[in-house]
Amino acid sequence: MTTSAPRAAAAVRPGGRLPHRSVWAVGVLAVLVVGYAALHGAFPFPSGLDIGLSPRLDAAYQWVVHNRDVSPLFLYGFNYISVGLGSLVTIVDNLLTAFTWPGVVAVGVVVAGRVAGWRMAVVTAVAFGLFGVLGLWDDSMTTLALMLSSVLIALIIGVPLGIVAGRVDRFQRIVTPILDFMQTMPSLAYLMPMVLLFGIGTPAASVATVVYAIPPAVRITALAIRGVPPAAVEATTSMGSTSSQLLFKVRLPLARRTILLAVNQTIMMAMSMVVVASIIGAGGLGDDIYQALSKVNVGTALQAGLAIVVLAVALDRVTNAAGRRTKASAPRTTWARYGLPGVGVVAAVAAIVVGRVALPDEAFPDSASVSIAAPVNDVVDWLQGHVGGATDAITRVLVDGVFDPLRAVLTDSPWWLVVAAVVALGAVLGGYRVAITSGVAVLLTGLLGVWSSSMDTLSQVIVASVLTIGIGGVIGVAAARSDVFAAIIRPILDAMQTMPAFVYLIPVVALFDAGRTPAAIAAVIYALPVVIRLVNDGVRGVSRTAVEAATALGSNRWQLLFKVQLPLARASLLVAMNQGIMMVLAMVAIGALVGAGALGYGVVFGLAQNQFGLGMCSGLAIVFLGTMLDRISQGAARAARH
Amino acid sequence: MNYRRGLRRGTALAMVVVLSAGCAAKTTSGADSGGKTVNIALNSWVGYEADAAVVSYLLEHELHYKVKLTQIDEQPAWQALDQGTLDVILENWGHADLVKTYIDQKKTIVDGGLTGNKGVIGWYVPKYVVDQHPDITNWKNLNKYASLFRTPESGSKGQFLGGSPSYVTNDKALIKNLKLNYQIVYAGSEAAEITQVKKLYKEKKPALFYFYTPQWLFNQLQMVKINLPKYTNGCDADPKKVACDYPAYDLNKIFRKGFTKTGGKAYQFLKNFHWTNKDQNDVAGMIANQGMDRDAAAKKWVDTHKSIWQAWIPK
Repeated sequence: MTTSAPRAAAAVRPGGRLPHRSVWAVGVLAVLVVGYAALHGAFPFPSGLDIGLSPRLDAAYQWVVHNRDVSPLFLYGFNYISVGLGSLVTIVDNLLTAFTWPGVVAVGVVVAGRVAGWRMAVVTAVAFGLFGVLGLWDDSMTTLALMLSSVLIALIIGVPLGIVAGRVDRFQRIVTPILDFMQTMPSLAYLMPMVLLFGIGTPAASVATVVYAIPPAVRITALAIRGVPPAAVEATTSMGSTSSQLLFKVRLPLARRTILLAVNQTIMMAMSMVVVASIIGAGGLGDDIYQALSKVNVGTALQAGLAIVVLAVALDRVTNAAGRRTKASAPRTTWARYGLPGVGVVAAVAAIVVGRVALPDEAFPDSASVSIAAPVNDVVDWLQGHVGGATDAITRVLVDGVFDPLRAVLTDSPWWLVVAAVVALGAVLGGYRVAITSGVAVLLTGLLGVWSSSMDTLSQVIVASVLTIGIGGVIGVAAARSDVFAAIIRPILDAMQTMPAFVYLIPVVALFDAGRTPAAIAAVIYALPVVIRLVNDGVRGVSRTAVEAATALGSNRWQLLFKVQLPLARASLLVAMNQGIMMVLAMVAIGALVGAGALGYGVVFGLAQNQFGLGMCSGLAIVFLGTMLDRISQGAARAARH
Repeated sequence: MNYRRGLRRGTALAMVVVLSAGCAAKTTSGADSGGKTVNIALNSWVGYEADAAVVSYLLEHELHYKVKLTQIDEQPAWQALDQGTLDVILENWGHADLVKTYIDQKKTIVDGGLTGNKGVIGWYVPKYVVDQHPDITNWKNLNKYASLFRTPESGSKGQFLGGSPSYVTNDKALIKNLKLNYQIVYAGSEAAEITQVKKLYKEKKPALFYFYTPQWLFNQLQMVKINLPKYTNGCDADPKKVACDYPAYDLNKIFRKGFTKTGGKAYQFLKNFHWTNKDQNDVAGMIANQGMDRDAAAKKWVDTHKSIWQAWIPK
């Protein structure tokens, strides 16, 4: 990275601006606490300031319910989209069924082998084998069909938008806040309008998945287009290319690697919607998890969760490997180029034919399946019986010592003092623009009529974020200092990121009691991998010269870490912090499923009880909290870089 | 050269797609000729799943229909009936607001008659709590015992554990209007609530929580209902002013209106479907406690209760 030189300079400069800023920040917090002590409970958010969005949304909801059979908006608009999307998913699903399992495996292996090399072909074969062995073949295919269709649509919409955003600054400025909104709105909050407009089942589920998966497609494509070296563009322009030639012959080919990263991230976002989609009737692996949970059968849920992890990891590895492939590593001989894939295609077709002739019932053989449910349930039971005392103590300390005091300060302080504190923090850490945006954002949560829930949620997000950043920082540094450790934790991090939280929510409740603690722990589990990866990456990215110089001057390992590596990696550490907070925020609604209450409960309750206004306003408030936390932490990161 | 390779690859891909689409088309048409499909909502509690299991088993094996079960929450299920995606809800718990919107006003949905199951919603404590404090079953004594139920989450008050956010509930209003010194902790999902109750039960600790019958957990744990002020007709009319117990629910079936006209024998069968709490609990117990497959549990019940289900089959 080219930024490491100025970064080093900034860190070496004695008495940089950071201590100065952090003193100010602590001052702001001190004023807030003093204000709370003096005035707590005296200034609740005035109900007169509620802008009344919630009842208006409820009215809109009723209008749609009563008019969706007659309004042209539905007859000629949403209903067509719904039918079209439903058919697309059904076609893909039927296609996978028609291939039969040997056919699907063969096609998957051939495609993976062609785009990503033979190692990935093996990975694909193992993944497909696991679906069958776990007895989840049919549901895996339903999920795969929904994922393939949704990712396809997300890319068809997202990549062109990304290209435009990469070329036109103004367009980029307009779409960025929209993308931010799409990503911070909890996925559970999307479901309600989707069901209202598109009906239940695959159409609504695929729209929700597409909406959630588009942002990375747009963002990363824009980044890719902007990353094309200007020299290449100038050279072609001087040769008289038209702008479309420039796009298709120069920009897109040069941006190919990064665009494949966009594909990869789009898939990963879509995968995180599998269980959520099953809540509105999309079926597939999510159903298995959801239904196992209603019987508190963690083992069965874990089994389906494992299939999701395997699917996600396989898709991730294959697209990643495809992105890393360069011209040089592509097969060179004619045989490898045409012969091998040709044989593959023939084999795949043969497998489909054999499958259709020999396996008319199209099911993966039951006899081959194994179940891990029973032993897993035994382990969960044992854990519950044997570590119960320790976890009770942790819950008590966290709730009495951390959650309650923090919530009291935020909810009971005068509302104007909280807004002022946010503005001041924004100003100190990020400058006046940040101050204005975050101040408006936090004020908006009150205007939506959900001030105290928002403050409750904010207190929980802060606690979970601090835990995530603390634990993630330590593990990340450890990973950066040991290749072996890094290699060991990599698959664990993959699983933590892709395993649906629904699977581990129940064991966490069994250990820590329903309430804010299990919700925070679930959030930490989900957010840790990103922080660990970024910290690891940041510390490893510190320029070798600086490390060598310090070692030559006789620093020991700890001095090296605290005096050189961490200060030099400060900017990346702050990015890790920002991403950690955003991931914690993404779990607010899920946390409500185990007793977090507050805004998340508003989202879940609104969805389940048709309280559209409450659900949407709670979702919006989460977006505003996200905006505030994002701006402040990004502002701090920017300041650290200068 | 690049172009030619692309062309060749494209041709190969197109061939595969055409070939497989042909197969797919054949499969779908084949499936359709086998019989009509009944689309049934599958709500998340196990009692409902027991209904769905037996009904689908009989529809498939006796009447030769295809059944598609769609996992969905209660409220979206009503919308799906309105939108025509689903045909039937097998076990409905009241929902006066939805009845008003869709049955009375829009007239797209109709009441499908009773299932025979009686639903009870209420506040429960484990039996060992009642053994120690017999007078706790009267709601007037709840405040006396509030400190028993204290947890870190409920602070200085007693903890009342709420149920799934998708279920019918007046708990917040009840606590306020009966002036109870309790704090609702929203378990947030049925799974979380049951996990929590089971944990407290194992440790023989006090617990006060929202629950309902018929429910499979009653086969595992002994729980006693608290007597809240008696339900009288209309005492729960204003959700904010409720200060009485939940009504007894006569659970009913809900049909899409179009289904009553085109549903044929499947409709007749579902209309006739009627059984007891014990029947449902037997099947639900097999599914939840013995870990049996939905179909296997249905088969076992069907094989031994012919006289009951014979009456449902339309002549």
